[in-house]
Amino acid sequence: MHDDPTVAMLVRRARDGDKQAWDAIVVRYAPLIWAICRRYRLDRPDADDVGQSVWLRLVDQLDVIRDPAALPGWIATTTRRECGRVVGVARKREVLGYTQDVAEVPDSDPAAAEAEVLMAERNAALREAFRELPPRCQELISLLLTDPPVPYAEISGKLGIKIGSIGPTRARCLQRLREYPSVAALIGADSIPARR
Amino acid sequence: MARRWADDDDDLMGALQEAFRAERDVPREFIEAGQAAFTWRNIDAELATLTSDSATGLATAAAAPVRSAEASPRFLTFSSVDLTIELEIGPDGIIGQIVPPQPGRAEARPASGPVLDTEIDDIGCFVVRPLPGSPFRLHVATDTGHAGISALTTWITL
Repeated sequence: MHDDPTVAMLVRRARDGDKQAWDAIVVRYAPLIWAICRRYRLDRPDADDVGQSVWLRLVDQLDVIRDPAALPGWIATTTRRECGRVVGVARKREVLGYTQDVAEVPDSDPAAAEAEVLMAERNAALREAFRELPPRCQELISLLLTDPPVPYAEISGKLGIKIGSIGPTRARCLQRLREYPSVAALIGADSIPARR
Repeated sequence: MARRWADDDDDLMGALQEAFRAERDVPREFIEAGQAAFTWRNIDAELATLTSDSATGLATAAAAPVRSAEASPRFLTFSSVDLTIELEIGPDGIIGQIVPPQPGRAEARPASGPVLDTEIDDIGCFVVRPLPGSPFRLHVATDTGHAGISALTTWITL
């Protein structure tokens, strides 16, 4: 796993009692926990239960996490284990007297598990890099990502740039995004195929 | 070789879209509950883990939070290094006892909502009423000894 300086700094600050750093860690990795809960098809109360357990453990563990780069992997593993527990309890309630194995949850593939963590890292790095872009880049990219698509003429009007400049401006903004340190590190290290 | 997510601008835009979608999926309260968990960092207490639960017949793994079945009352036992905490969960409250018996205070601290604070009497008994919001943890602090004992249970879900 690559080393993301942002995460290391956040963990260090949270360890020293910085609530904002903790909040940022939660914002960064809540989507990973949520996505795993979805994959296990947990209902909302169960997902909340899992989320609480994972964050609470992390609060307890902050001091002993030696390698912050391992944090997303730790979060994913803890979340899967908690999901397995919740699913197991739910099944026990359904099938009284039987203790069923919870192993058939779609999770035993280590490559898929690793891809899930990498995807979360990539998403977090991209969101963070995006928020560090100049405001005009953020506006342009947001408009271009709007669904349904906003016509170029409207984008041109809103941002006051020529239609012919939209493409080149987008290219420049995306180049800055690629150069953002944690994104650049992922581009160097990562080989997840794009979803097309 | 498969196309990669940052190969060209369209791929990268797709990756950005995916990143924002993953974030939008997460309910606001799910994030807020996670952020609120940080308050536990200020509680300096031994962890009391579940050692028996009448609802599951138990032998749970250490530190696994508790999840209920419907039957009541339900009996739970938590153990830390210095204390055992026994709880009987009734329909409208919790009756508890700490062993060894000693006075102090008990607090039920829900994930969100107000903390319920109650006194532990000389023989270690206490009552928490009404039932706290679920899930919650119980924090026990005793008066005896120089510093007293401070113990915090894992999460209890009713």
